[in-house]
Amino acid sequence: MSAPLVLHRVGKRYRRRWALRDCSLSVPERAIVGLAGPNGAGKSTLLGLAVGLLAPTEGRVEVLGRDPWLEPDVLAGVGYVAREAPLYRSFSVRDTIEFARATNPGWDWSIASEYLTRLDPDQRVSALTAGERSRLALAVALGKRPAIVLLDEPFERLDPLAAREFLQLLMDGVSELEATVVLASHVIADIERVSDHIVLLGDGHVRLDGSAEELIATHRLLTGAARPLGRIAGVEEIVRRRHSARQMTLLVRIDGQVVDPSWSVDEIGLEDLLLAYMAPERLPGPQEPERGRLRWHG
Amino acid sequence: MAWVTWRQHRHQLLIGLALIAALALAALVTGLPMRTAYQREALSSCLPPTARSGCDIIVRHFQSEFGNRVDVAGYLILLPALVGMFVGAPLLARELEHGTHRFAWTQSLTRRRWLLSKTLLLALAVVLGGAVLSAIVMWWRQPFDGLQGRMSPSGFEIQGLVVPAYALFALALGVLAGAALRRSLAAMSLTLAVFVAVRLAVANFLRPHYRSPEHETMAGLVPGAHARDWVLSNALVDAVGRQITSAREDLAVLHAQQARIDPQEYLLSLGWRRALSFQPADRFWTFQAIEAGIFVTLAAALLAATVWLLRRSPS
Repeated sequence: MSAPLVLHRVGKRYRRRWALRDCSLSVPERAIVGLAGPNGAGKSTLLGLAVGLLAPTEGRVEVLGRDPWLEPDVLAGVGYVAREAPLYRSFSVRDTIEFARATNPGWDWSIASEYLTRLDPDQRVSALTAGERSRLALAVALGKRPAIVLLDEPFERLDPLAAREFLQLLMDGVSELEATVVLASHVIADIERVSDHIVLLGDGHVRLDGSAEELIATHRLLTGAARPLGRIAGVEEIVRRRHSARQMTLLVRIDGQVVDPSWSVDEIGLEDLLLAYMAPERLPGPQEPERGRLRWHG
Repeated sequence: MAWVTWRQHRHQLLIGLALIAALALAALVTGLPMRTAYQREALSSCLPPTARSGCDIIVRHFQSEFGNRVDVAGYLILLPALVGMFVGAPLLARELEHGTHRFAWTQSLTRRRWLLSKTLLLALAVVLGGAVLSAIVMWWRQPFDGLQGRMSPSGFEIQGLVVPAYALFALALGVLAGAALRRSLAAMSLTLAVFVAVRLAVANFLRPHYRSPEHETMAGLVPGAHARDWVLSNALVDAVGRQITSAREDLAVLHAQQARIDPQEYLLSLGWRRALSFQPADRFWTFQAIEAGIFVTLAAALLAATVWLLRRSPS
């Protein structure tokens, strides 16, 4: 099968504001994709388009090879947990599962039941903790045996322990189903922890798209004396620059080896890389680099 | 979807059943004495074509004793509006308000199927409830329908085919209002306002013209013969058919009283007549069918509009 989620020059406008513009990406099969970006970057809009809750203003969305807006039948293969995991508050846990069974012909009880072992079936959804609620929502999303799972800010209201547990359940379920996962979060640490493929959104555009190794391999931090910048051998593009009176730090995308001895060349961690891309063009004020490992954000 | 609909609307359904049961009980308690009195006074022998002597007093007595019950029953016209407000309006508005549409519409069922199955199942329940209610009222009002007929609005609008049709219309109206406004409270208010407006408009501007009314010019000034018909207009005209203004009528009556003549005979002697236009009582079922047809058609149109709106509204 081809890529389970493809966006082709997609734009989505709410009244006058464009939430997404000219977005193209292709999610590899069976990848765990981290959809990163600050609040308002268009992450929820992108997921909304992928589950057919929204129609694109322009461009084409394909989920499992079909348009989710025109052919909503494709949702049988898509597991989706919206932001804040909306469920019917007056339903009990049992009712919620019954709802999922009634609205999904391909319902697989054996998958869902793994997530429910510690939930009281008679408890109302309104009385569940945030962690239990996420687990129930995940049970519904995975119980339909999806080929792709889309999660919008799943860790937002979870404490670190519940978040870790949720992640473990998700990974177990996904590997059993051999499903692709797209996980949107504005917390870079979450993205870094789980994803093997990163898509970074900013202002409704795709800023970065690639596997974690690929991104790390193609970016370097250059530190050296401040100077007028010309072309540097091996550098494809200067992404961000920061300088004090004497010293200069550049984040660059490379297409070869940087051999110029006047620059000290360091690798950059994924989290720092993403934060640098999310940061405004020029960071204010001169800052001395930290001792030890170089960080873009001190 | 039957289970889903039942689970989400079971409270409304049970309240509806309880309401119908309570109304049935009330109808039994208040209706039996009415029927007993009707039989005891042999009121059936007083029905318009063959009025025996003394009927005036018996009928008047019966009406003054039970008339206020009939007036109270008139409030039943509000029930369909309640269906629209409390079942129809929240159907989509509540989901959109709480964000649960993102949960409900991303399962394997398409949102259109979700909407249609829920709305049609509820419509079935509403039609059944309306039919039962209509049957109860028809039984209860039987003695009065014999005397006053059921063609005029107070009798026409709470029995027969129109009751389930009004309820169906209110339901569809509420669902559309919820889809358009996305807020329960606003949708409920709009549903009530539009329901009342449409009902009044149909009753006042359309219903009198379902069939062209019949006309009659009567020598007698008391239109007792048309008690069971729906009298649309009742005017005093002179010998050549011109309408007499009420000021002129008052003046003539005053003149007769001063001259110590019976006013009615005096008016007759002037050649003045009553010109009636009315819808005869035997058109009841025809009118019921036409009006029910109008509201069922409106309901279907509103449902189609909701499907269309849901198709394009961004969520």
